[in-house]
Amino acid sequence: MSEQQEVLLRVENLCQYFGPTKAVDNVSFDIKKGEVFGLVGESGCGKTTTGRSIIKIYDITSGSIYFKGQRICAGTKSYRDAIKEAKKEKRTCKDDKRIAELNEIIADNQAEIKKAKFDHKHSDHEYAKRLVAETKEKYAKKLEQATSETETKALQKEMKDALRVAKKTKLITKIQMIFQDPIASLDPRMTVREIISEGLVINGIKDKEYIDKRVYEMLELVGLVREHAGRYPHEFSGGQRQRIGIARSVVMEPELLIADEPISALDVSIQAQVINLLNELRERLGLTILFIAHDLSVVKYFSGRIGVMYYGNMVELAETEELFAHPMHPYTRSLLSAIPLPDPRTEKQRVRIIYNPLASHDYSVDKPSMREILPGHFVRCNDAEEQQYKKELGL
Amino acid sequence: MGNNILEVKNLKVSFRTQAGTLKAVRDISFDLKRGKTMAIVGESGSGKSVTAKAILGILAGNTIIEGGEILYDGKDLLKITEEDFHNIRGDKISMIFQDPLSSLDPIVKIGRQITEAMLLKSGTNRREAKKEFNGRLATLKKEMIEAQGKEHETEIKGMVKVFDKFCIEANHLEAAYNNAYTNAADLLSYTEDFLFKLDKKQRLDVKGLLRDYRKRLGKIKDPFLTKGFDSRIEDVAAGLSKAALGYNAKQNELTEVTAAMKDLEALLNEITTQQRPNFFRIGFYKLYDPNANLDLPNAELDEVALKVLNENFMDRFFALTKEGVTYSYRQALERKKAIMPKLSEARAFFSTDFSKAEANKLCKSLSTEIEASIDQLEYIKDSTAYTFRSSLSNAIEKYFFYLKRNPKEEARFERQTKRREALIARGKTVTWKVVPKVVYEKDELRANILKIIDRMEEHYGAYIAADSSIDFEQRSVALIDHFKEKASEVVYRVTKSMAKEKAIKLMEEVGIHEPRLRYNQYPFEFSGGMRQRIVIAIALAANPDILICDEPTTALDVTIQSQILELINKLKEERGLSIIFITHDLGVVANMADDIAVMYAGKIVEYGTADDIFYDPRHPYTWALLSSMPDLDTKDKLDAIPGTPPNMIYPPKGDAFAARNKYALKIDYEEHPPFFKVSDTHYAATWLLHPDAPKVEVPKAITDRIRRMNEKLEGGAKDV
Repeated sequence: MSEQQEVLLRVENLCQYFGPTKAVDNVSFDIKKGEVFGLVGESGCGKTTTGRSIIKIYDITSGSIYFKGQRICAGTKSYRDAIKEAKKEKRTCKDDKRIAELNEIIADNQAEIKKAKFDHKHSDHEYAKRLVAETKEKYAKKLEQATSETETKALQKEMKDALRVAKKTKLITKIQMIFQDPIASLDPRMTVREIISEGLVINGIKDKEYIDKRVYEMLELVGLVREHAGRYPHEFSGGQRQRIGIARSVVMEPELLIADEPISALDVSIQAQVINLLNELRERLGLTILFIAHDLSVVKYFSGRIGVMYYGNMVELAETEELFAHPMHPYTRSLLSAIPLPDPRTEKQRVRIIYNPLASHDYSVDKPSMREILPGHFVRCNDAEEQQYKKELGL
Repeated sequence: MGNNILEVKNLKVSFRTQAGTLKAVRDISFDLKRGKTMAIVGESGSGKSVTAKAILGILAGNTIIEGGEILYDGKDLLKITEEDFHNIRGDKISMIFQDPLSSLDPIVKIGRQITEAMLLKSGTNRREAKKEFNGRLATLKKEMIEAQGKEHETEIKGMVKVFDKFCIEANHLEAAYNNAYTNAADLLSYTEDFLFKLDKKQRLDVKGLLRDYRKRLGKIKDPFLTKGFDSRIEDVAAGLSKAALGYNAKQNELTEVTAAMKDLEALLNEITTQQRPNFFRIGFYKLYDPNANLDLPNAELDEVALKVLNENFMDRFFALTKEGVTYSYRQALERKKAIMPKLSEARAFFSTDFSKAEANKLCKSLSTEIEASIDQLEYIKDSTAYTFRSSLSNAIEKYFFYLKRNPKEEARFERQTKRREALIARGKTVTWKVVPKVVYEKDELRANILKIIDRMEEHYGAYIAADSSIDFEQRSVALIDHFKEKASEVVYRVTKSMAKEKAIKLMEEVGIHEPRLRYNQYPFEFSGGMRQRIVIAIALAANPDILICDEPTTALDVTIQSQILELINKLKEERGLSIIFITHDLGVVANMADDIAVMYAGKIVEYGTADDIFYDPRHPYTWALLSSMPDLDTKDKLDAIPGTPPNMIYPPKGDAFAARNKYALKIDYEEHPPFFKVSDTHYAATWLLHPDAPKVEVPKAITDRIRRMNEKLEGGAKDV
C-alpha cells in the first residue's frame, strides 16, 4: 500500500548544527499523504529540532526538504565541504586530467549552492508562480467553453479573484505546528478570534464576515462554542487552550500538521480528549501529521509509522506494528523495555535493557548507515550488525 | 502498631482566595506503612500536592487548616512549631518537587546545593542521636533496676556503662572500616571502568590516572580491611608507579599498564569480597581484654570475640534487658487497662454539656495519665498516645472558640447580606461580595472531641487484646539493635570531602555523566531532565525516612523515567524508605505503588492495594482514569472524561464526579457516598456499591485490559 501513496514530505540528509553541536545529523525520512508519522526519542535527541527545521524556524545546515514535490529548505554545508575537499586536493594534485575533474566538481557544487540558496529563499514564490500558471490554464479552458458574454465576464471576475489568492499563497502555510505548551504559545493580549484569524489576515483576507465564519467553524470543529471567540486565553483551561492552538493551525487548511508533544503538558483526562480530537480531525480533513512525543504508548496508539531518534541520528524507522514486534536497534529495545504499563504484576518484574552506545557498537572501522532489513524497516547499522539482525530474524 | 510511619487523619485544608474559600482537601485519611510506597493518583486540582505540602508544612500563607491530624513519630505535624519542623523537613521527610526550575537556587553551584543538607544536618543528627541513645539507655537502666530490685543496682549500672562504652567504640572502628571500604569499592569501579575503556581503545590520560589510583590506594588502609594485604598493596602500588613512569603517550604501549591495572583489580576484588567483621563483638573484646590479639584473621577473630562477649557480658545483659522490657511492658499495660474505664467516663462527660474549666481539668489529668502509660522502651513511638494531649486540648479549645464566635459570625453575615440587598434594591451596582460565613455546628465540634477519645480507646483496646502474642525475646533484640543503630549515628560525622564524595556518587546514581566536572556547575548549565535529577539527588542526600515525590518524572522521557524509578525503588529497599508518590501516570503507579489512593476534588474516592485498583477497580472515576490513556494494545477510540474538574470554591453537592460521570445515579447529585468496603484493603466511595444500586457494567476497555493482563501473566508463568 505504501508504494502507491503519494509522498507529501521528504526529508533528505537533514543536518542542523548549532555551532559544534550536531542537533540533527544526516536524518532522512518521508511522510506519505494521510499518515501519522511518530518521532520518538529522549529529550535532547533532536526530535523538536527536526520539526522546527521542517517549518523553517531554523535555517538548516545541510540537506534538503521537499514538500509536495517542491524543495522548501536546503542547506549548503555538504556542497561547501565538497568544494573545500576538492580545492585542498587541487593544491597538491599534479595530474592535469584530475585537476580538470576537480574544477568541474567545484563548478557543479557552486551551482548547487546557488540553486539551494534560491530554492530556500524563493520556494514560496516559485510555488505561487506554479499555482498562478495552473489557475490561468484552468480558466483559459473554461473561458474558451464559455458561450455568452455574461458568463465570460463572470468567469473573468472569478479568475481575477482566484489569481489574487494564488499569488498570495505561501507553500509554507500548508505546514502548521501545534506547540507543547498551550500557555506559552498563545498571546495573552489577543482574543481567541484574533488568535485564530491571524493567519488568515496575514494571508490578505479582508472579508470580516468570511473570517468570522471560518473562526466559528474552527471553534466548533475543535469542540468549543462560538461564544468563546471573544474571550482571552487566560479564561480557558489547559485542554481548551490546546484546542485553541489546534484551531489556529487548522484554520490555514494545512496539509501537514507538526504536533510537537501536544499532550505532554496536559492533565490525564484532557490528554485523551486532545488525542481523540486530533484523530477526528485527521479523518475529517485528511490531515497528515508528524507527531513528536516521548510517550510511547500514545505514539503507538496514534501513528502508523515511527522513527526512533538517538543523539541526532535516526536509528530505526518502521511501521508501528513491525517496530514493536521486531525492535532491532539496541536503543529501540531499551526504549521499549522502559515503557511503564498500568499492570502492577508485570510491571514489578520488568527488566529494563540498558543501552550503552560504547558497549553495543563497534564503529571504529565499519561506519554505520541506514539499511533496510525488512521491507519498510530501516535500521542504522554497519555490515556486521546487518548480518546479525538478519540472522535473528531468520533471513 | 508501629506499622504505620505516617498517619493522616481527617485532614481538611482550604485556601482563602479573592473569590471565596477554595476547599482543596476535604476530609481525607490514609496511612503510610513503614517501608512501603503509597501512591496518590488524580488530576491536577484534586488536592494531591496540597496534601503533600501539608505533610511538609510548606503550605502557602493563605491556607486554612480546618481540621485533622498528621501523625509522625509521636508528633502531630499540623500543630508543632516551625523550629520543630526544621528538624523534620528535608531530614526525616524529604520531597522531590515537580518543577526543577523553581526548586534550585540559580546562583549556587549544584555541588553545594546537594551537600548543603548533609553538612548542615550532620551536627544536629549526631546531637539528636546522642540524646536518644542516652535517654533510652537511662530508661532501660531504670526499668532493669526496678525489675530486679535494689540489690542488683550496682551490677546493672556497671553493665550499662560498659555497654555504652563499647557500643560507641565499636562504631568508631566500624566508621573507619566503612570509610576505607567505600574508598576501595570506588577504586575498584574506577579500575573496571579504566580497563573497559582501554579495551575499547579510547584515549585516556593514562599517566595522570595511574598516579591518581596510586594515591587512592593509600587511602584504603584500615587495620581490619587490609589485614594481611599490606605487602601486596605495596607491591601493586609499586607496580602502578613503575607503569606510570614507563608509559610514553606517543608510543602508547599499554601491556605494562594493563598488567598493573589487572593486578590492582584482582587485589581490590579480594579485599572487597572479604567477610565483614562484627565490630560490636570486637569492640567489647578490645575493651574487655587489653591484650586482645586483633591481628587474627577476621573470621577467627569474630569467633573469639563472640565467645568473650557472650561469656562475660551479653548473656547476662540480654537476660536483664529482656526482664526490663517485660517489666516495662507489663507496667504500661496495667496502666493502660486502668485508663480504659476513665476514657469511657470522659466520653460520657463530653457527650453532655460541659464547662470550660472542667473540660480543661479533665483533659489535663487524662493526658497526664495516658502519657504515663506509654511504654518508654518502645522506641517506635506510639503516635496516637503521644499526640493525645495536643489533639484533645485543641479540639476543646476549638469547641469553646466557635461556640462563642458562631453567633457573631451569623450576625455579621446577616448584617452584610442585608446591606447588600438593600443597596441592590435601591438600584445600585454592588461590586463587593459578602464573605461566606464560617460556622461550625456544636454537634460537629463535639464529634471532633469524641472522635479523639474513641480513637484512643480503640487503639488501647487493640493494644490490650494483642497482649498474649508479644514476643519479648524479639523485642529485646530489636531494642539492642536500635541502640546499635543510634550509636552508629552518634559516631557518623560528615566532613566536607565525605559529603562531596557522597554527592558525586549520588549524581552518578541518578544518571548524571561526568559528575566530577558537573559538580561545580550552575543549574542553568543543565537541561530540564538533568535538573530534575539533581533535585532528586538533593532529596536523597539527607537520608530521609519518608520521601514525598510530587510528579518527579513527569518532565522526563521514558528511559530516564524508568531509571529514576528504579533508583527510588532501590533506595526504598536499601534504606527502608517510605514513599508517598504523587502522579497521574498510571503506568508509573503500577511500577511503584504498594497502596493507591485515587483522589478527586479533594476527597479520596478509592483506596486499595495496587492489585485492587488495577485488577478490580470499582469507582467510575478510576475506570475513567484507567481507560482514558492508551496502552500498547489499545486500538479503539479512547474513553475521554468529558468536561473539566469542578471549581472547588463552590464544591458540588453530593458526589463531585457526578457531573462528568456517565454512570451517575440520582442520589449522586444529592448526597456524598460513604466508603463502601470491597475487601479488607479495598474501599471505594461510590453509590454503585450500595446493595440497592443498579448493576453497572465495567467499561469494555478495562475488562479487556484486565483479561489481557491475566493472559499475559499466565503466559509468562508458562514461559518460566
